[in-house]
Amino acid sequence: MTRKFITQQELALLVGNLLAAHTRVIAPVRDEEDPRQVDYKPIESFSQAVFGAAIPRRSMKEFFLPITEVLLSYKLTHEGVKITEVPTQAPPQVIFGALPCDAAGLKTVDKVMNWDYRDELWFGRREASTIVTFLCSVMDHTCFCTAVGLGPEDSKGSDAMLIPYEGGYIAQLVTERGEKLFEGVGTAATEIMISASEDTGKAARAKVEPNLPAIPGELSEWLKQNFNHPVWKTIALRCHGCSACAALCPTCHCFDITDEHTSAEAGTRRRNWDSCQTSTFTVHASGHNPRASQSERFRQRIQHKFSVYPSRFGEMLCTGCGRCSRVCPGGMDLPTIVGELVSLAKSESEVSGQ
Amino acid sequence: MNIYQPHLMRIREITDETVDTRTFKLEFQDPSIGQTFAFQAGQFGEYSVFGEGESTFCIASPPTRSGYIECSFKATGKVTSALRRLAVGDTVGFRGPYGNHFPLEKMKGHSIVFIAGGIGLAPVRCVIWNVLDLRDQFKDVTIIYGARTVADLVYKRELDEWAARQDVKLCLAVDPGGETPEWKGMVARIPTAVEKTVSSAEDTFAVICGPPVMIKFTLPVLEKLNFPGDRIYTTLENRMKCGLGKCGRCNIGPTYVCKDGPVFTAAELRALPQEF
Repeated sequence: MTRKFITQQELALLVGNLLAAHTRVIAPVRDEEDPRQVDYKPIESFSQAVFGAAIPRRSMKEFFLPITEVLLSYKLTHEGVKITEVPTQAPPQVIFGALPCDAAGLKTVDKVMNWDYRDELWFGRREASTIVTFLCSVMDHTCFCTAVGLGPEDSKGSDAMLIPYEGGYIAQLVTERGEKLFEGVGTAATEIMISASEDTGKAARAKVEPNLPAIPGELSEWLKQNFNHPVWKTIALRCHGCSACAALCPTCHCFDITDEHTSAEAGTRRRNWDSCQTSTFTVHASGHNPRASQSERFRQRIQHKFSVYPSRFGEMLCTGCGRCSRVCPGGMDLPTIVGELVSLAKSESEVSGQ
Repeated sequence: MNIYQPHLMRIREITDETVDTRTFKLEFQDPSIGQTFAFQAGQFGEYSVFGEGESTFCIASPPTRSGYIECSFKATGKVTSALRRLAVGDTVGFRGPYGNHFPLEKMKGHSIVFIAGGIGLAPVRCVIWNVLDLRDQFKDVTIIYGARTVADLVYKRELDEWAARQDVKLCLAVDPGGETPEWKGMVARIPTAVEKTVSSAEDTFAVICGPPVMIKFTLPVLEKLNFPGDRIYTTLENRMKCGLGKCGRCNIGPTYVCKDGPVFTAAELRALPQEF
């Protein structure tokens, strides 16, 4: 992997050149009304971007799986129905200052989007995007990326990762796309710089690690075997079923498909974000609902993230970003809940082992 | 073409099965798709009315009959109500075929008992015609079909056809109270009808579909007859949107109805979390 030293000015120039070439650049930007809050947004100038200020409120999945998107448009005519396809190729976009957990989430979701049938709308945007992450420095007590096999210095899903270093950054160029973006920019990093950037990474890890010990692989099997465990009856008592957790989650990707008229003769078929936490998600036309209670719906969320996805795709459907915990109006704290399930699984295996 | 893009199909024929259940015979508007379109018994599709949305049903016609597909639906929700408002010549969208299928190859050379209740005959009918179109490759064929009342029996014209065939043993039943003075079939619920009609599980596969309560009480009857769990096949329906394993809605624990199903054996169903 190539490592370069890039000054702040060089980064500003690079972003300026991209904007001048009309490439969409997305970066963390302060909310105008509440400057403590940061959101990923398309920027018009480098000065709008704020790196290392706060965890953006929403993950960046909306730039790959929009909150609502057109799948096709239709026109009803006397001769029949006319369908217009949507392009699956997306215009290029570069994301600067992505959190490593958000970049990793995209890589995780790639697997289901490519499961036998390739979702070209998702991959059209993935292939048109270059993701530059910043080594995470904004972690708080709710983060648990290190417990799900990631970390503030993990470059999974990154094309390049920037690590702060004396007036600039050490750029780790992870993919060819990352190499290309930084072509002709910066100077080769020295041994001292590389060693310093590795120390920065270790220090960042040390800040997250105490929050939750690594989730053992055995949890997946325990969850599978304990679908009817009494713990599910009480675990979700504080869940309102509002689905805010899923909206902010970098890996939740469930969606609905609906038709919307734009006039009497025309309209669009759309894909909209949806969530397994809502009461109508699985209701049959007959009224029968396989997941009728909130505890069943919350069990689905935990099972999907920590058992179903790992057994299908070999990794957890969670990046440990902690957004679900921060947003929950009922105070459901995922690291605490998962930690309790892990202890429960361990204590039961000890009992049965005796 | 992206994976959510439907084919356009024209309604060639409409048949009313009961007061609320209707069958469409559909043909591809683009004949070249019609020529290459292939599916297997038990697979499903996403049918749509533009402006109303998509709905999931099995393909009710057999793969042995090409050039068209059929679907049967009951006007229940938004899309099925909109489908009901359509006329011959109108256009619907179709994506598919999706999911797994009944193991016809495995069943060849054996006897089959088909058991269906109500509109549950739709997916079973697809297999029945598939088998009857290749009749000499199978041993005994028994069909046990029932509904709440005589008026609720679907595919009546085909029931007559099956009754007239020497190579099919047909048993029709309606629930007590659902019979008419002219009714010549049994007055019994499905589990009883199975008990009275089927004498042995030897060398036989069972294909069963109907309301959950019917399946619940029929499975023990089949087990008593010594049908092993892996020779009883059924098909599940859960709410779906994509049909492609992406939208995250139809899974029962680790099992995706759209990808691992919709066809399951009784043994597979028993191993699933009881959340369907």
